[in-house]
Amino acid sequence: MRKIISPVGSLALAAVAGLVLVGCAPAAETGGGSGNDGNASGGDAASERVEICYVTAAEAHPYVTPANEAFDAAAEDAGATVTRLSQEFDVQTGTEQLNTCIGQNPDGIVLWPLDPQAYIPGLISAQDAGIPVVLINSPMDDEALEFVTSFTGPDVYDQGVMSADLINELLGGEGQIVIIAGQAGNGTTIGRTDGFTERLDELGSNIEVLQIVNADFDQQKALEASRDLITRFGDDLDAVYANDDTMARGFIDAWTESGRSLDDIPPITGINGQQDAFESIRDGSFYATIVQSPREDGKLALNTIVAAAQGEAVEARIPIPLTIVTSENVDDVEPAF
Amino acid sequence: MTTPVPPPSRTVNRGLFSHIGARLGLPAGIVATLIAGTLVSDRFLTVQNLTNVLINMSIIGIIVVGMTFVFVTRGLADLSVPATVAVGGLLVLGLESSIGTLPAAIVGVLTAAIAGAVNGWLIGYAGLNPVITTLASGTIVLGIAQVFVGGVIVYGDNREAQAFLTGRVFGVVPVIVLIFLAVVIAGHLLLSRTVLGRWSYAVGSNPSATGASAVPVKRVRAFAFLLTGTLAGFSGVLLGITLQTARPGIGTGYEFDAITAVVVGGVSLLGGSGTVLYAFGGLLFVQLLTNIMVLLGVPTEPQGLVKGALIVTAVAIDVALRRRGGRS
Amino acid sequence: MNARTTIVTSDAFHALVRNRVIIILTATLIVGATFVPGFLEFRTASLGLDRMATLGLVAIGLTVVLIAGQLDLSGGAILALSGIATIGLQAELGQIPAALVGFCVGIAAGAINGFLVVVLRINSLVATLASMLFFRALCHLITESRPISGIDPFFGLAVSRPIEGTFTGRTLVFFVLIIALHFWLTRTVAGRHLFAVGSNPASAEASGIRSRAYLFGAFVFSGTMAGFAGVIQSLSVNTGSPVFGENIVLVAIAAVVIGGTRLEGGRGSALGTLGGLLTIAALTTAMEYQSVPAYLQAIVTGVILLLLILLDRTVSGSQRRDVTLAALWRRAQSSRSSRKHERTLAS
Repeated sequence: MRKIISPVGSLALAAVAGLVLVGCAPAAETGGGSGNDGNASGGDAASERVEICYVTAAEAHPYVTPANEAFDAAAEDAGATVTRLSQEFDVQTGTEQLNTCIGQNPDGIVLWPLDPQAYIPGLISAQDAGIPVVLINSPMDDEALEFVTSFTGPDVYDQGVMSADLINELLGGEGQIVIIAGQAGNGTTIGRTDGFTERLDELGSNIEVLQIVNADFDQQKALEASRDLITRFGDDLDAVYANDDTMARGFIDAWTESGRSLDDIPPITGINGQQDAFESIRDGSFYATIVQSPREDGKLALNTIVAAAQGEAVEARIPIPLTIVTSENVDDVEPAF
Repeated sequence: MTTPVPPPSRTVNRGLFSHIGARLGLPAGIVATLIAGTLVSDRFLTVQNLTNVLINMSIIGIIVVGMTFVFVTRGLADLSVPATVAVGGLLVLGLESSIGTLPAAIVGVLTAAIAGAVNGWLIGYAGLNPVITTLASGTIVLGIAQVFVGGVIVYGDNREAQAFLTGRVFGVVPVIVLIFLAVVIAGHLLLSRTVLGRWSYAVGSNPSATGASAVPVKRVRAFAFLLTGTLAGFSGVLLGITLQTARPGIGTGYEFDAITAVVVGGVSLLGGSGTVLYAFGGLLFVQLLTNIMVLLGVPTEPQGLVKGALIVTAVAIDVALRRRGGRS
Repeated sequence: MNARTTIVTSDAFHALVRNRVIIILTATLIVGATFVPGFLEFRTASLGLDRMATLGLVAIGLTVVLIAGQLDLSGGAILALSGIATIGLQAELGQIPAALVGFCVGIAAGAINGFLVVVLRINSLVATLASMLFFRALCHLITESRPISGIDPFFGLAVSRPIEGTFTGRTLVFFVLIIALHFWLTRTVAGRHLFAVGSNPASAEASGIRSRAYLFGAFVFSGTMAGFAGVIQSLSVNTGSPVFGENIVLVAIAAVVIGGTRLEGGRGSALGTLGGLLTIAALTTAMEYQSVPAYLQAIVTGVILLLLILLDRTVSGSQRRDVTLAALWRRAQSSRSSRKHERTLAS
C-alpha cells in the first residue's frame, strides 16, 4: 500500500505552521476595533465611523429585505459601517454568526432573533465583551432581555390580540377557523399566535380553531399547507388567520387552485400591510391586515444601536406603530411595502 | 459510487411467485391505499380531492421522469435539482418584464439545461462521482442565478399566465396535470420504445460490456443528467408562474422527494431496470399516503416517519426479491 | 505527447495535486489575511475554529463512512435528535445524565443505519435518506415542531468559551478526536482493514476481513459522532430544536472530499479532512467578515469542490507514481547518480 504518511505529515506540519503563524501575529485584544481604522473605538467616537455587526433573518424575504435596506440607508445617514450576516432562517447558523460578530469586536450588534432562547449564551458573551446588543423585530423571552440594551420592533402579542378582535367581531363569536402560523418556535410566531388564542379565550368566544399549521412566513410553504387545510376542511372554514400577508397569499393561491371561486373564500386576516394584500382587500378576497412598516423597523433598530454604541441611554423597549386596515380605510393608508 | 455490501453465499432460483410479486406489489399497494383512504374519510374518494392529489404531484412528477433516467443509467442521483428548479423559477420571473413571459420561460429552461449538460459532461465524460458533482454544481448554479437576480425574491405580475396554469380544461382537468401527464408519457415512451432507452438500460446493467459494444456509454450517461436538469428547470418555470413569486429555496427538498418516488416505485439505484411508469406509480402511492395522513390531521413534518419507513420497506422487498433472482 | 499530456503526467503536477489540500488551505489563509483585517489574530482563529467544531465532529464520522465506500446523509437529523434528548430530559434526569442519553441516541441511530445497510442490504444513499426522513420527522413529532429550552443557559457555556484564552472546549475535543482518528487509520491494523473494505469489500472478505462488521461499525461511529455533535451543540445554545443540523451533512461531505477522501471508498485521511475543514472555516470567516452574501459564498465553495475532484480525476487517470517530496528527492538523486555512472562508463 502506498505510503500515506508523508503528504499527510506535511499537511500536519502546514496546519501547525498555520496555527503558529496565527499565534505569533500581534494580538489586538486590547479592545481596539478590527476595522481598517485601527484606532481604539472607545474614545472620540463622534468623529469616526461606528461599526455595527447585523445578524439578520434572511437576505431574500418580502418583509426582511426592505427592513435590511432601510437599515443600510439609515446607516449611511448616521455614518455607520455595517457588516451584515444572514441566518437564512436557520437558528443554528444565527447563534454561530452572533459569535462571529462578537469576535469582530464591533461597536454594536443588532440581532434578529428567530428563537426566544437559543441566543442567550451568545448574548451573555456579548455583554461580557462590553458590546451593546439591540434586538430587532422578534421578541425573546424575558430572561434574555437583561443581556440586551434594547428591543425595537412591533408588539407581536398585541397584533395577535387585534386580529382576534377583528375575527371575533366579524364572525359574531361563532365559527371554525384555521391559523397559518409562521416559523415554529420563532418569537413572532409565538406572540402573534398566543396573542390571538388567548384573546379569544378572554372574550369567551365560541370560535373553534380547527388546526394550526406552520408555514415559516413563506408563501410557497403556505400554499402547500393550505392545500392540505382546504382538502381537509374545505367549505367548513369560516375564516383564516395568517401570521403574515405573505402566507395569506399562499392560502388565496391554494383556494383558486382548488377550483373554487374567490367569491366564496373565507375572510382572511394577515399582518404586515403588503401591497398585494391591499389590492386583495379592495377586490374583496382579503378581509383585513395590520400595517407594520419594515422600513420603520430597520431604521429604528439602526438608530438605537448607534445611539447605544455612542454611549447614549436608550429605552429598553421601543415599539413601532401599528395600523389596522380593512376595506373601510384601505384607500387612506399607505401599504408598508 | 457507494460500494455494495458483499452478498452472503447462496442464491436461489427466482420463483414465479416472487416474479409476480415484484410486478404486482405496487399496484396492489395503491389499491390498498385507495381503500384505506375511503375508510378514513368521506372526502377521500371525491373528484375534488383526487384532482388535488394530482395537482400536488405535478411539479415533482416532472422531475421524477428525469430522475428515473438517472437511476436506470446507474447515475445514482442528481442532487442539483433544487438549484435547477430555482433557476427556472428565478429566471422566468426575473426576465418576464423585459422580454415577456414565454421568452423568459425558454431562457429559464435553457439555462437549467446547460447546467444539466455540464453535470452530464462531468459525470458521463470526465467520470466524476455523481453525488458530489451534482452537489457542487448545484450550489454553483444556484449562486449564479441569485447573482443574476440580485439575491432577492423575484416577483412576477403576469396574472394571465398564472390563471392559465392554475386553470382547468373543461372545468375539470387542471392544465398543470395535463402537462405533467404529457411529460410522463413522453418520458415513458423515450425509455421503453427508443434506441436511447434500450441503450440506457444497457449502460445501467453492465457498463463495461456495453462499452465494448457500439453503445455510446458516455453520451447516454450524460443525457440522463441533461434531461433531469432540463425537466427540473421546466418544472421550476411552471412553479414560478403558478406562484408569481420565486425565491432561491423554491426547490428545496424536491430531489429527495423525487428519489423517494423512484425508489418506492421499484426502480433500482444500481441501474438497468425499472420504467417511468413504475416511478409514476411510486409517486402516486406516496402522494395518496400523504393525502390520507393529511385527512387524518397528521402534521406535515411527522409524515416523514411514514415516508422513511416506506422507502425502507420498498427497497428491502426489492433487494430480497432480487437476491432470489440471482442478481445483487 | 502534446504539451497538455506532458503537464498532466509530470511529477511536478502530480505533487501539486497530491498536496492540494495544503495548497488550498495555505492559499485560503493568504487570501483571508490579505483581504480581511484582523484575520490572523488569534481571537479570529479561535472563533472560526469553534464555529467549525460541530461540523468537524460530524465530518470525523463521515470520513470513516466515506473511506468504507458508503454514504451517510442522516447526520444532521441525528444531531437534532440527540440535541432534543439532551435538553428535553434535563428536567427529569439532570443535565449530565440527559447528555449521556443524547449521546446514546446517536449510537442507537448509527446502529439503525448499520442494520439497514448491512443486514437489509439497502444501498447506503437510499437507506440513510430514509433514516434521515425518519429521524427528522421524529424530532418534529417529539417537540411538536417547537424548539425546547434547557434549564440553565450558563451550564453549557463552558463548551463554547475559550479555555485559558486559547481554544474553546469543543475545538479541543475536536482536535483530540481527529488526531486519534488519524492514528487509528494509519497505525492500526483495523484502520488498514477499513481501507481494504472500502476499496473492495468482496476481496477484503475473501482475505479474511469481516467486511460487514466494519461497515456496520462505520455507521455506528458516524451516528455516534453526529450524536456527540448534537449534545455539544444543544448544550452550547441551551436549546434543542427539530430544525438544527439541516445543512450540516452536505457541508461536511464537501469538507471531507476537499480533504482528499473519495466517495468511491478506499482512500482518505483524517488529516485531509482536517485540512478541508480548516479551509471551509477560513473561507466562511473571511467571507462573512466582508459581508459576502450567502449565495456568493456558495459559489466559492462549490467551485473549489468541483476543481478539486476534477484535479483528482486527472491525476488518477494518468500514471500513478509516488510523488511524495521524499520520493521526488530520491528519484532526483538516483537519476543524477545513474547519469554520472553512464558518463563514467562512456568515458
